Amino acid sequence: MKKVIVTMLAASMALGLLAGCKENTEEVSTNDTPSSEVAGDAVTNQIFTGELEENVTIQVLENDTAISKGYFQELIDAFNKEYAQYGITAVDANMDQYLDLANDGPYGYGPDVLYQANDVIMKYSEGKHIYPLPVEQLDCYDQVPEDAWKAYLTDIDGVAYTCGVPVNIQAPMLYYRKDLLPEDWESTWDKDGNQVPDMVESWNDLYAFSLARHEEDGSKYGYMKAMNDMYFASGFLFSYGAYIFGNGNTDTTDIGFAAGEAEKGAHVLQQLASAMNEDCIDDTITTNAYSRIADGTYFATMSTPDMYSTFIEELTKVYEAEGLSTEEAETKAKENLVMTGLPKLPESGDLTEENPTLKEMVAMGGMNGYAVSAYTKAPNACLAFVDFATSYEMEMKRSQMLGIAPARGDVAAEAGDVSSILFARLKNNDIVLMPSVEAVSQIWVPGQTFFIDLAKDAFRLEDERKYKDLDAMKQGLNEMCQQIYDGIHTLQ
Amino acid sequence: MREKTKIWKQMIQTSRWQTRLSALVMGSGQFLYGCRIKGLLYLAVEICTIGYFAMRGMGDIRGFFTLGTQTADPWTNTPGDNSVVMLLMGLLAWLILAGFVALYIANLKDAYRLQQIVDRGERPERFIDAMKRLLDQKFYALALALPVVGVCVFSILPIVFMILIAFTNYGGSIVPPALVDWVGLENFEKIITLSQFAPTFFKILSWNIVWAVLATTINYFAGLGLALLLNKDCVKGKAIWRAFPILAYAIPGFITLLAFKFMFSYGGPINQMIRDAGGVAIGFLDLDAKWTARWIGLLVNCWISVPSIMLLATGHLSNRDMSIYEAARIDGATKFQQFRRLTMPYMIFTTTPVILGQFVGNFNNFGIFYFLRGGMYMDGYFLASDTDLLINWLYNLSIDNNYYCIGAAISLIIFIITSIISLTVYVRSSAYREEDTFQ
Repeated sequence: MKKVIVTMLAASMALGLLAGCKENTEEVSTNDTPSSEVAGDAVTNQIFTGELEENVTIQVLENDTAISKGYFQELIDAFNKEYAQYGITAVDANMDQYLDLANDGPYGYGPDVLYQANDVIMKYSEGKHIYPLPVEQLDCYDQVPEDAWKAYLTDIDGVAYTCGVPVNIQAPMLYYRKDLLPEDWESTWDKDGNQVPDMVESWNDLYAFSLARHEEDGSKYGYMKAMNDMYFASGFLFSYGAYIFGNGNTDTTDIGFAAGEAEKGAHVLQQLASAMNEDCIDDTITTNAYSRIADGTYFATMSTPDMYSTFIEELTKVYEAEGLSTEEAETKAKENLVMTGLPKLPESGDLTEENPTLKEMVAMGGMNGYAVSAYTKAPNACLAFVDFATSYEMEMKRSQMLGIAPARGDVAAEAGDVSSILFARLKNNDIVLMPSVEAVSQIWVPGQTFFIDLAKDAFRLEDERKYKDLDAMKQGLNEMCQQIYDGIHTLQ
Repeated sequence: MREKTKIWKQMIQTSRWQTRLSALVMGSGQFLYGCRIKGLLYLAVEICTIGYFAMRGMGDIRGFFTLGTQTADPWTNTPGDNSVVMLLMGLLAWLILAGFVALYIANLKDAYRLQQIVDRGERPERFIDAMKRLLDQKFYALALALPVVGVCVFSILPIVFMILIAFTNYGGSIVPPALVDWVGLENFEKIITLSQFAPTFFKILSWNIVWAVLATTINYFAGLGLALLLNKDCVKGKAIWRAFPILAYAIPGFITLLAFKFMFSYGGPINQMIRDAGGVAIGFLDLDAKWTARWIGLLVNCWISVPSIMLLATGHLSNRDMSIYEAARIDGATKFQQFRRLTMPYMIFTTTPVILGQFVGNFNNFGIFYFLRGGMYMDGYFLASDTDLLINWLYNLSIDNNYYCIGAAISLIIFIITSIISLTVYVRSSAYREEDTFQ
């Protein structure tokens, strides 16, 4: 049956190519399609002929969490069963997540299909190390929003190609423990009476609550997050007008982390750091946040949706230790741990301001998805795998097992609030997708260094502080931009 | 040199046509003088080499100069040149050519030697006898032949390859399928002249030298001190005490380093104790901790390296001639005088190569600061921090940022520096100048 479908697809593609042979009267409709698109289609059709390669093994590089939680095994088992008749077998590539396809691929090393964030995938598109995909042919095409596809769009020699298939959206979410709210929160921490605690609606309130919680018990904290994490920290800058690269994240000569009033975002971060302890300067909180949220030391933290299952696991363990059965503990954990959107920021950038005017927070996000290596010997089998892995059933299973926010609209509609929150934010431009250019790899370490310095500043003696006012923060951001610029362009 | 030229001139003037024919057809002289198997082997070498160069060698040498002319396009299935492979294969072709030239010269010399034997009216050595002689008198040459080939392919070839990369623009956006080009000394010019680059290079180089000297000195004297301490008669349970440092040595280095990183982190046990005692947490390894982090690096390196020095020193100390110490004691020498005048000269003499090895190892000690304090770029440094050594910077540039050519240029500089220091120290050391003294 599949072969018949594949043959029909191939025939329809061939007919499409023959469109140029039609009579002049019909040329008008052909000319409606931009010539660049036709050129792009010609390239993808040449690669993906529609004829499945038989008796091949395709190596798939998957996400570590998907492997450890058992989702990946279920995926390849289901795929291998479905395609057993063609002798196509998908296996775990068993390779490091941080592979270097550009260097290893030409020598025959590397996976056939890779699951990565859009910035990682797209850095390979510039050197044509991954194939452009005929995404219109895929089952998920109509279900995935246009914004998600854009993350995989690339322009090569004036022709637009799509080099990846979105699977799930990644963006920071706020995690907090409902049961750690003050007992009287509805009267003291719900000014607008909307039954949502103020401290998860506004950073000003979360900051105030953090100070109050720590003051009440010196070993307890409110919001805790490692400040050295560029992925999470940069959102505070974006919210006040910063951006990564100019011209829609394509112009790497224009580094925009200091643009607009980005220094206000830096000020917010510095204030948040002051409500934490020195652990926020290094990786300490990154490694212990799961257990500290579980044991109640921290009230809230920021993480990505795919870590939901890890938070639940840790909290379940705590409840089990308290004497609950596994099932009861898990139910209670799911009840008490809340994953929600990010609080709003004050326009002034001052967390101590009373009755501030609030604005939505913008965050850095990523679009994880599949791509096909340009060095694979079986592109059609790989495409079949990608099609299978992004089908409704598999994405639903992925969402259920890993708690991710699926890119497919039909799965997202059933998956719950997280997906709808994330897609709404993406649509409102409240999520800045990581640029799909290779140069993005240069932003992390300079950014990390600046944020470490900023967090450290909250614990320096008054006369030793480096960022005493907004001007100093602007200067620090400008220096970070210069470092990024030098990293990208000095040796080119 | 003049002597060699004279010999060659003499060979040309006095050689017969059979010998001269060997210059054209390798092995022909040997064949005509009666050494037929040897002659055929030389001929086979010539035929194989010509065949290799006709089929791909010439192309590889041409590719060595051009590094490719056709860019590959995996999307359109357009085959293209892989500059890196071309460079490697070109290098291999040069090595084969060098091997062939060596054999060609050996062939000419051998043909002339046979001519002289025949002229003296003697019978040339039979192939079977030559083989026997090779197995007996020249067994060392036979035994070393395979390792020499191995060293050429697995050691010299990659080193020369790396050196050559320093003269190309390989890296950044120029990785296959993009074509690489030769750029001469441009990468070295960048290191020395670029405003962002040169200050970082010299700052890191000076810290690297200080680090290598300090680390080697601390490790050596700590190891020697520990060995002397555990060598004392009054120490009970020496085997158990010696086992502790060995345990530290047995644990993989990077695990030790990550453990130390955790210990010195803000959430680590040291800061926990400081906080519990009412103090303020200390950023032992953070952004402001330039010299604190450097000293921690030195001490952690000491923890990892001391056991090996201690074991080595324990072995050497047990070989001392204790009668000299007895004599010194009778002459009234104090313990310190005995250490300074007897132990130290002896230990320095016997362990100079080890100290040099330690120095080079410490100069290129990648792990310490990569694991303890990686992931930071400091103000005034280009893609590096104030604790990074040249090898860490090289990693940042070549692996994290893909600047392979610059990385190779820095490697070459490191190689030159360590070679000069090591050779100078070694040649001037008593271990080299008075090699036979302690034998």
